[in-house]
Amino acid sequence: MMEAPPREDLPALLERLAPGSWELYRKTAETREADVARDEVSELWRREEGWAARWWSGGVRFASGSDRGRLAEAVGRESELPAHEEPMPRLPSPGAVRPASDAPVEPPPNVFERLALLVSEKSRGEATLASLALRRGRAIEDIRNAAGLSVRMESPRLDGVARAVGRRGSRGCESRAVFRWDSEPDLESLAARLADGATFPLATRGPTFPRGSLLLDPSVAAAVLASIAPLFTTQPLPPWVKRSELASRAVTIVDDASADAPFDGEGTSTRRIVVVEEGAFARRLHDLRSAARMGEHPTGHGVRPSYRIAPRPGPRRLFFETTRGVGPLELLGRVARGVFARAVTAPVSADLARDRYEIEFTGVAVLAGRATEPVAGARVSGRVSELLARIAAVGTDRQFFPMPYPVGAPTVLVEKVSFE
Amino acid sequence: MDSSAWDEQAVARWLDPLVLERGDIAEVFVERRRRTVVEWNDGEPAEPRVSLEAGTSARLRRGGRERLAFVSGADEAALREAIRGLQASAGHSPLPARSPRPRPEADSGSSAERWIRRLPGILGRHVPRHRLTWTLDEVTRRILPSGAPASLSERRLLSLEGTFVAASRRGDETRSLSFHAPEADATADELKEALALAAVPRERPVPFGNGTADVLFSGGTAAVLFHEILSHALEADAGESPLSRLSAARLAVSDLEVRDEPTRLDLFGGYERDDEGTRPRAVKLLDSGRLAGRLTDRARGGPRGSTGHGRRAGPADAPLPRGSNTVVSAGGATTEEMTRRLANGLWIDGIESGTVELSSGQFRLRYPGGRRVRRGRFADEIGPGILAGEILSTLSAVEPVIGREVRPCRSLAWCSRRGQVVAVGGAAPDVIVRRLSLKDR
Repeated sequence: MMEAPPREDLPALLERLAPGSWELYRKTAETREADVARDEVSELWRREEGWAARWWSGGVRFASGSDRGRLAEAVGRESELPAHEEPMPRLPSPGAVRPASDAPVEPPPNVFERLALLVSEKSRGEATLASLALRRGRAIEDIRNAAGLSVRMESPRLDGVARAVGRRGSRGCESRAVFRWDSEPDLESLAARLADGATFPLATRGPTFPRGSLLLDPSVAAAVLASIAPLFTTQPLPPWVKRSELASRAVTIVDDASADAPFDGEGTSTRRIVVVEEGAFARRLHDLRSAARMGEHPTGHGVRPSYRIAPRPGPRRLFFETTRGVGPLELLGRVARGVFARAVTAPVSADLARDRYEIEFTGVAVLAGRATEPVAGARVSGRVSELLARIAAVGTDRQFFPMPYPVGAPTVLVEKVSFE
Repeated sequence: MDSSAWDEQAVARWLDPLVLERGDIAEVFVERRRRTVVEWNDGEPAEPRVSLEAGTSARLRRGGRERLAFVSGADEAALREAIRGLQASAGHSPLPARSPRPRPEADSGSSAERWIRRLPGILGRHVPRHRLTWTLDEVTRRILPSGAPASLSERRLLSLEGTFVAASRRGDETRSLSFHAPEADATADELKEALALAAVPRERPVPFGNGTADVLFSGGTAAVLFHEILSHALEADAGESPLSRLSAARLAVSDLEVRDEPTRLDLFGGYERDDEGTRPRAVKLLDSGRLAGRLTDRARGGPRGSTGHGRRAGPADAPLPRGSNTVVSAGGATTEEMTRRLANGLWIDGIESGTVELSSGQFRLRYPGGRRVRRGRFADEIGPGILAGEILSTLSAVEPVIGREVRPCRSLAWCSRRGQVVAVGGAAPDVIVRRLSLKDR
C-alpha cells in the first residue's frame, strides 16, 4: 500500500539513504498538439509530471516516478536492489532560481493548408502533404541536490513532424521531416525538404559518374554530425582518432545550449564548448560522472532525454561553426562534378568503433557548378576519418534540426567521394 | 497494481453526455507501469533503476476528429482533470474542480527481485562475459468506455539485450543478444536455451557479397518479414501502399497463411484486451496466399466492428490500429528439406530490425549474421548485412514449401510508428524467399 508523502519528505528520505549524496529532479510539461491529415484531425492536450532521484549508496542509484508518492516508493524498491560500487562525483553548488511563467499554452498554429499548397507548388504537383503534427508547449525543470543547489528552468517548444507522398505514375515515395522552430514557422524551407524528399527518389536513375564532390544539404549535414556526435562523449576514443587531425581545418564544431537553458540536467551551468577546433579534437563533453572518472571538470552536458532516464553525457546544442564559412551558391560553384545530397533516404549509419559510415540519399547531379538532373538514390560509404578529412568547406546557411537535441549545420562540401 | 478506487458510474455520468451521435467514442484510459532495469557486466549488477508511473487520459472521437486529454497520475483527481480537459476541448461545460482525498493503491508485487537473484547463475553458465541490460516491464491498463463495461489487462514483459563474448573457432568474438518474452513459468528455461544457442562456437564470419540471393528465414525470423510487409500495410489507417487496391488478390503461394494473433499471450505482443477495451480476435492477413483481413480499431472497424487492434504506446497517446503477433502457419517440410530446397543462398536465424516504406513498398531487414548454403549444405559463417525488397515481388517469391516447426521469434519486440512504440511479437516456420537484395554491413 502506498501513501503519497508530503513534498518535503523526499529530500529527507534521500538524505537518510545517502547523506550528502543525492539529487532530486522534477519536470512538469504542458503541450498542445494538432495532428492533421487529409481526413483526420487530432487535438491532444497533455499535462505531464515526472520526478527522478539519483543517489550514491553502495553505488549509483536511480529511481523515477510520475508523482512524489511513486518516486518515494520507487526509491524504496530500488534501494533493495544490488548496485556496483562507484564514488560520488562532486555535485554542483548552489545556483539561482528563475521563476517560471504560468501563462496558458496556446494551441499550435494551423498551417496545414499553407504547407500543403507550398509542397504542391515546389513539387510541381507531384507531391502532396499527407500529415502534419505540430506541438507547442512548455516544460519546467527543477533540480535540487544535497550540496544546496536549487534551480528552475523553463523551456518553450514548437516542433513537429510532417509527411509528404510523391507520386509519378504507379510509383510512390514518402518523405518525412522532423522540425523545430525557435521563432516563426519556416514553411518555405520545410515544404522544399518535403517536396524534394518525396519526388527525387522517383527519378529514373542514380548518379552517372563513380566519383566526384558531395554537397550536403544542411539537413543531411546535420544528420551526419549527429551520427558522429557519440565521439564527443566516448571514453576511450577509438584508435583511429588522431586528436590533432580529426577533420579538415575547415571544420569547427561547437556545443552551446545557452540559448535553450541556463543549466544542464544535473544543475551544472551551460557553457560554450569548442569540441573540434579547426579540425583538431579539442574537448570532450562531460556530465558529472564522466568528468569525475576522467579527472576533468564537468562541461554542463548531463542530459536527461526524459525524467525516466538518468543523466548521461551528451550534446545539447551541437553545431558547425560558420563564422568562416562561404555562401552556399559559392559552394555549388566549386563543384565540377558531383551530387547535391538533398535528403537522406535511410538513417545515416556510423560505426565509430570500426571507422565506417554510410549515407544513403537522394538529390541532384551537379556539373560545372550547375544542378542538372535529379538523382533517385545514391550511397556513399567508407571511413569516417576520410569523410571528415575531406570536408573542403562549410557554408554560412546554418539551420537547426531536432536529432532530437538541436543540431546545426550549413551546406557542407566534401571532396573526392565515390558514389555507389 | 490496479486501483479500483473509482466510481465507474460517476465516470459514466461524465462521459455519456459527450456522446452525441452513433459512432462517437468516449473513454477513459488509465495505465500503471512499473519498470525495473539492471545493467549486468560480467555477472555484476550495476546502475539499477526503478520507475513507477501512472497516467490517465480521456478521449472523445467523433467522425474524423479525435480529442485527447492526458494528465499524470491515476487517482480521481487525475481522472477529473483529464475529463475537464476533454470537456473544455469539446466545448462542454467542465466538471467542477475538486480535490478528492487520495486513496491507497493495491500492489500485486513484483517478480523483479526473484529474477535478479537468478540471473547471475544463468548468465554465468552460458555467457560469462557480457554487457547486458535486463528490463522487466509490469503494466496494468484499465479502460472505461462510455456505454460498455470497464476492462482491465495486465502484462509482464521481460527483455535481455546487449552483447557478450563468445568463443569463436578463431578467437573470441563479440556477439549481440536480443531476447524478449512475456514473463511466464517457462521463460527462464527458454532464456537459458536462447543463451546456449547464441553462444555456440562459430567460424569467423566472412562477407556474403552484395547482390541478390535466395534467403531461408529460420528461427521464426519470417515473422519479422511479414510483420513489415503485411501487418503494417494492412493496418486500417495505413496510407496508400502496393496492397491498397488488391482486395482478396492472390499474392503468394497457396501454402502461405499469415495471421495476426493478439490472443497468443505466449508471444511478446499478446494481450487479452486492446487499449480500447475490445476483446481481440485473430485476423488472417494472408489466407492461402490471398490477401485477407485488415487490422482495425473502434474508429475504423466499419460494420464488422473492431478486430481488437486499437493500441497505444501509453496513456498520453490516442489509439491507432496496430499489429500484435505475426504468426505464420506451419507447412510440412523438415529443416533439412528446407536447406536442401534453398540449394544456394543465405540462411539466417536472427533479425535485428526492420523498416518498411509503404508508399513505395520498399522494406529492409538488418540481420546480424547467418550461414551461406551451397548445394543444400551449410558453408561459411556470414557477417551482418541488410536484406531489401518490395512487398509484392517478395510475396510472389515465397517458395511453395514451408517448414513444419513454428518457432517464436524472440528478437521481435518493439515496433515504432508515428512515434508510438508498442510491443509486438511473432512466430513462424522456416520460409524461403527467392531473389532478395542483399548488402553486407
